[in-house]
Amino acid sequence: MPMVFIIYIWHDNIVSPLIAGLKGHWCSNALAIKESHSQSIFEVVHIENFYSRPLPKSDILTTIYVITPTYRRPMQKADLTCLANTLLNVANLHWIVVEDSQKRTSLVSRLLHETELNYTHLNVQTPANSIKHARPGQKFPRGTLQRNLALQWLRATFNDHNTQPGIVYFADDDNAYSLKVFDEMRSTKKVSVWPVPFVGGLRYESPKVNSLGKVYGWSVVYDPHRPFALDMAGFAVNLHLILSKPHAYFKLDAKGGYQESSLLMELVTLNDLEPKAANCTKVLVWHTRTEKPLLINEGKMGFTDSNVEI
Amino acid sequence: MATRMRLKLKTVFVLYFMVSLLGLIYALMQLGQRCDCTEHDMPKERTISRLRGELHRLQEQARKSEATRRPQKESSLPTIFVVTPTYARLVQKAELTRLSQTFLHVPRLHWIVVEDSQRKTPLVEQLLAKSGLTYTHLHVATAKERKLQEGDPNWLKPRGVEQRNEALRWLREDGKAREGVVYFADDDNTYSLQIFEEMRNTQRVSVWPVGLVGGMKYEKPVVERGKVVRFHVGWRPSRPFPMDMAGFAVSLKLLLDNPDSCFDGNAAMGFLESSLLQGLVTMDQLEPKADNCSKVLVWHTRTEKPKMKREDALQPQGLGSDPAVEV
Repeated sequence: MPMVFIIYIWHDNIVSPLIAGLKGHWCSNALAIKESHSQSIFEVVHIENFYSRPLPKSDILTTIYVITPTYRRPMQKADLTCLANTLLNVANLHWIVVEDSQKRTSLVSRLLHETELNYTHLNVQTPANSIKHARPGQKFPRGTLQRNLALQWLRATFNDHNTQPGIVYFADDDNAYSLKVFDEMRSTKKVSVWPVPFVGGLRYESPKVNSLGKVYGWSVVYDPHRPFALDMAGFAVNLHLILSKPHAYFKLDAKGGYQESSLLMELVTLNDLEPKAANCTKVLVWHTRTEKPLLINEGKMGFTDSNVEI
Repeated sequence: MATRMRLKLKTVFVLYFMVSLLGLIYALMQLGQRCDCTEHDMPKERTISRLRGELHRLQEQARKSEATRRPQKESSLPTIFVVTPTYARLVQKAELTRLSQTFLHVPRLHWIVVEDSQRKTPLVEQLLAKSGLTYTHLHVATAKERKLQEGDPNWLKPRGVEQRNEALRWLREDGKAREGVVYFADDDNTYSLQIFEEMRNTQRVSVWPVGLVGGMKYEKPVVERGKVVRFHVGWRPSRPFPMDMAGFAVSLKLLLDNPDSCFDGNAAMGFLESSLLQGLVTMDQLEPKADNCSKVLVWHTRTEKPKMKREDALQPQGLGSDPAVEV
């Protein structure tokens, strides 16, 4: 009799984990945001209603968490497809896509489901009344709430004390990325940096690196007094740093060009920066922008079938 | 009396042992067997049996889908020859890089990159060498009078004509393949991975919709009863083949059997694709793909020209960014 019981208990332990392992996805419940007291960031109260493929479990390569804010426009599916094709080549990568929308759209849901990437799909709509916080003439910074939500999700998902290493990279959906930049960023201890072309009206902007391999300034023309005069595509942050500084977020009311500084000032000093890409002498990402297509032949009623997804 | 007691105890123990052993043997025999749930009364056992049954079902399903997913070995797949004309400009490396990253996922793909230049450039040479792809690197310079000048609108002169024709020449004269599919993929478009699988079994010319082209969300062939009957386009639908370069693929055999077919650089605006296809097929011979041309799997995206006003102002003073750094 005791032997029979032992066998049934063994069955329990073998069968149930096997069944659980065959499942790929899980869901949670809904999203709420509220304005913070300072009104410079929108505090996300709790995160619900997201959809995720399980996170990778490799102990060998540090996982890269790529955060991509996205919004509906004609080129959205094309840009996300192109980026997905790039990311599919990168090992141990988890894509966090955050839609600027009231709910997760079927276009993005389907696209993510059909890639074979590990991903998390979030959404938060930039409230219309937040535009009043922008200064006159200031272009409202796109993607801020969405990037902050992704940071919130990382902090809600991972515990600083017993989590595996990770790197966080903010990758907009219309830029181009070489595979090498992902290799370079994997060894980031705090914040690593590299050049980015086609920003600030220059062929490229770059950190200035001295002979000791330390960043001492910025090779930029547009507002060189920025604490961190770099583009979103030009740096990556160690996940532990994000987790250990839970109040560090992008500021919604940051001046144009200061978005990146608004986060990095909370995390590091200039001296902490780790230059990559051969001491910032090589270009490994490109700040490309996809042209807005001129849909002049669509007409007011729309010439093409609106049920066909583009 | 004591002996009888001992004997009785011994019998009890033996009996107990035999029953346990039988129970154990029975349980071991049940291992790995599909469970007949009607036999079980206890809820826990019912759950375990159900889960075991589910596990068997899923394992069989996985085995079946694996078998159907890969019906052909990779080596027997027709090769797709992707022809990409390219020219030097600021975003060239970015465009070719992300294009190559898409191609890395497509089996049996041979990339034919043709530079619009007098000679092969190190930028493209090194990019191709590091790409991990099978490739052929060609070059031919567009005649000066045919070249777009700075400030000319894109549509003024057809681009990439000489380069695509050079690729056709290579396929016919230098290439060893006699079978496969040829696809003209410009370096700034966006391609899903599915489009390559759709075109792989092209017999003559296959066609599909293209997104964000011709001033429309998409242009597409209109298909009725499996045949292309006309084209849904916003501009000059009366063209013989009113399609974008990204919207069709041609069987290599058809190109080899028609050695004079090529693109006509003197063709009127929008007629470049027709200038090739007219000599190869009629409309009713077109093979519609992408679910009878109802899905958009390729987009005619264009990349903005980066604003260089600060760079342009600094260069004459020798203060611009280091030209030795390749972008």
